[in-house]
Amino acid sequence: MRSGVKTPSYIYRFTLFILLFATFSLMGYKLFVLEYELADLIPTVGYDVEVNMQVSGHGDKMSISTYLPIGTAHQNISDERSAPDIFTTQITVDGLNRIASWQAPAVSGTHIIRYNYFVEAEHVIYDIDRDVPISEKLPDYLQPYLAPQEGIQVNDPLIEQTLHELFGEQKPDTYEALRTIHHYLQNEFQTRNFSGFTDALTALKLKEASCNGKSRLFVALTRKLGLPSRLVGGLILNQGSKKTSHQWVEVYVRGHWIPFDTINNYFAEIPKNYLRLYYGDKVLFKHTTNINFQYMFHITKKLVPRKEMKEAMYASPLNAYNMYKIFESIGISQNLLKIILMIPLGALVIVIFRNVIGIETFGTFLPALIATAARETGLMWGLIAFLAIIMVSAMIRRFLDYLQLLHSPKMAIMLTVVVISMLLTTMVAVQTSYLDLAHVSLFPIAILAITAERFAIIQEEQGFLKALRISFFTAVVITAAYAVMSSLFMQSLFIAFPELLFFLIVLNLWLGKWVGMRLSEFIRFRKLIFKAKS
Amino acid sequence: MMNLKRLYTALKTDIKKADSVLGMNRRNLGYVYPSNPRKYFEFANNKLLTKKTLEAAELSVPETFLSVSYFYELTEMEEKLRRLKSFVIKPSSGSGGSGIVVISDYQEGDWLSVSGKTYTFADLKKHIADIIFGVYSFGLNDTAIIEERVVQNSLISELSPQGLADIRVINYKGSNIKAMLRIATIASDGRANLHQGGVGVAIDLESGKTFSAQVHGENITHHPDTGIALLGVTIPSWDALLRLSEAAAKAIPLGYLGIDIALSESGPVILEVNARPGIEIQNICGEGMRELLCTIDAGKSI
Repeated sequence: MRSGVKTPSYIYRFTLFILLFATFSLMGYKLFVLEYELADLIPTVGYDVEVNMQVSGHGDKMSISTYLPIGTAHQNISDERSAPDIFTTQITVDGLNRIASWQAPAVSGTHIIRYNYFVEAEHVIYDIDRDVPISEKLPDYLQPYLAPQEGIQVNDPLIEQTLHELFGEQKPDTYEALRTIHHYLQNEFQTRNFSGFTDALTALKLKEASCNGKSRLFVALTRKLGLPSRLVGGLILNQGSKKTSHQWVEVYVRGHWIPFDTINNYFAEIPKNYLRLYYGDKVLFKHTTNINFQYMFHITKKLVPRKEMKEAMYASPLNAYNMYKIFESIGISQNLLKIILMIPLGALVIVIFRNVIGIETFGTFLPALIATAARETGLMWGLIAFLAIIMVSAMIRRFLDYLQLLHSPKMAIMLTVVVISMLLTTMVAVQTSYLDLAHVSLFPIAILAITAERFAIIQEEQGFLKALRISFFTAVVITAAYAVMSSLFMQSLFIAFPELLFFLIVLNLWLGKWVGMRLSEFIRFRKLIFKAKS
Repeated sequence: MMNLKRLYTALKTDIKKADSVLGMNRRNLGYVYPSNPRKYFEFANNKLLTKKTLEAAELSVPETFLSVSYFYELTEMEEKLRRLKSFVIKPSSGSGGSGIVVISDYQEGDWLSVSGKTYTFADLKKHIADIIFGVYSFGLNDTAIIEERVVQNSLISELSPQGLADIRVINYKGSNIKAMLRIATIASDGRANLHQGGVGVAIDLESGKTFSAQVHGENITHHPDTGIALLGVTIPSWDALLRLSEAAAKAIPLGYLGIDIALSESGPVILEVNARPGIEIQNICGEGMRELLCTIDAGKSI
């Protein structure tokens, strides 16, 4: 069947060829000459941790302190941010621990202190050599890790008796000692969710304990055997909010502090989502007694590019990261660049939804811009805020219609209404601590006003249901654009190979000549296409 | 395996069949862009220009009483307007029928619209000012057209008592391809607009007889409001209407057109011309129109 579509011209084909060649030659050069590793582009999981402390006082001096994590081979801490309200922050190092304290001379009413940091951690498994005897001689600085302390009754006869039951007369080697004690605590003890303090002996007598009782008993037993050990306090990182902290132990074996957790059965192993906050038998929060104090950890899972990739790219010449440093020197952050790089990809998603799937949305590229803004608010709040602003502004527009105003002043009022609703949303969001929602002020204001106008027109001309339908489809496309644009793999890929933007042009050139039926048209014309085959 | 193969063959036939339907992508790339150069879009989008072009070719359009583009004309027009009893006010660049006011009577210094609303001169002046200011054309300055109100043929009026019906003819390179009658309903608020619940009635190009009707994608045989039979009706002056459509396609420098024609007592009248006619007409007529378009491209007549 002949169609009215002209065959693609030579200029069209030549443009395609040039762009494809540019894309793949630059990528090839980076991959084969500069040896970029594609596998490193796959992102890894990190956690944004917010320590949220709510205090209220009656005009007295107030001081609060807590432990902040320190970077180790297992965990990497970055991007620390502090919102100390009226307090002054002081961060000090005390032995192995880092302490943050907040003070204010006169506190009345309720205040919230926030402290955020980003954690990237590795899952580490240690190998303990077999048949290594427990050392008799240890350097002085390890002696405190063998001594009894409050709650850890190393020299109690009951501890000795237990070790005798476990090992008999013979002195075990390091591996066997740890293995046996770990199994004993993991399997013979009931785990309870006590929140109070349980000492080693109580745990041993009851054969049940929470993490802190089990850990103290672990430490008491190992110290008695001559293995230096210590308590570790920290947080198990899972998406969500929690108050519960966790305790486990570390044992010193031939130059390494090796982690053990007999609640979740980690033997010489620490998983990715364990965050060390402090060493020793400490209390996580301290505060003056004249106040009401509440705390909460808010943990958000995030994908981040791998360290290896960043390092590899910094190392090679003509690399993407050095290129981005030029932008950084004039105040354009890499984060902003990432967003800019993702906008063409979002636009491609929208082209596919419109021309291949055939979904009607508000504005051609509005969904991509909303998806960009939703990176700050999160998808859910982004969608809720978007729909709410559109609906409210459309209602206002109907009212303005009733007043019968001329177009330009009417649009200016719509714009103002959008701005006001954004400011109100932000204020309410901050008051109610929905901080993500507060970023709604990043939304493209003019575009929202125009969208509200479109909503009102469609509502008037084609009914409220139709307008709602288009809103729904717009939300679907925003979600899809968001998913693609916030994909860390895509971000890493485009940062490493910005020449892929040429490839996006190629895809659009191709889609620009595509005359196939849209998927929705198969439904729209189903009676013509799928009618009884005769 | 056998079932899979059967499914595959069935799917292949369906996709082949889908080829006979004109999709939006192909309509734009295959017909609208190559046949309708952007610079001639004005001939369809600017209704005043459409009318002037058609009038110059001596084709029947509603008579233009007045056109108002500037504010200073607003006061001057009162005298002329007061002499008119029945007329239509519409924005020259409006779309979807918005901004159209149909006046049917003049009593004691005020006008009466077909929907029963009373308009004072100040009301009409305000409406015309809105049109000029671009309220109905996305903020771009516009011209208000005040033209003759088409009184429709009595037979068509029986089919569409709720408002002016029109006949949409798709014309490609001078040949009429498909035609349908669009009927106003209560649901469509007196507008002959399919999106708003108007009825689409397929017309056989050859005989001018209606043969199928749809509202919101559902097949019907009778008018949803009045219960009058819609099928098997022969449209009056059908040949004249087809010739008018062909002549309009010749006069307007666009190759792929939707021509909207109303039938008055004295014969067919062109209401407007559309440079990007919708593809829903295929559903109304129960047949894709791609083969016909291809036949014309192959240089044959239908």
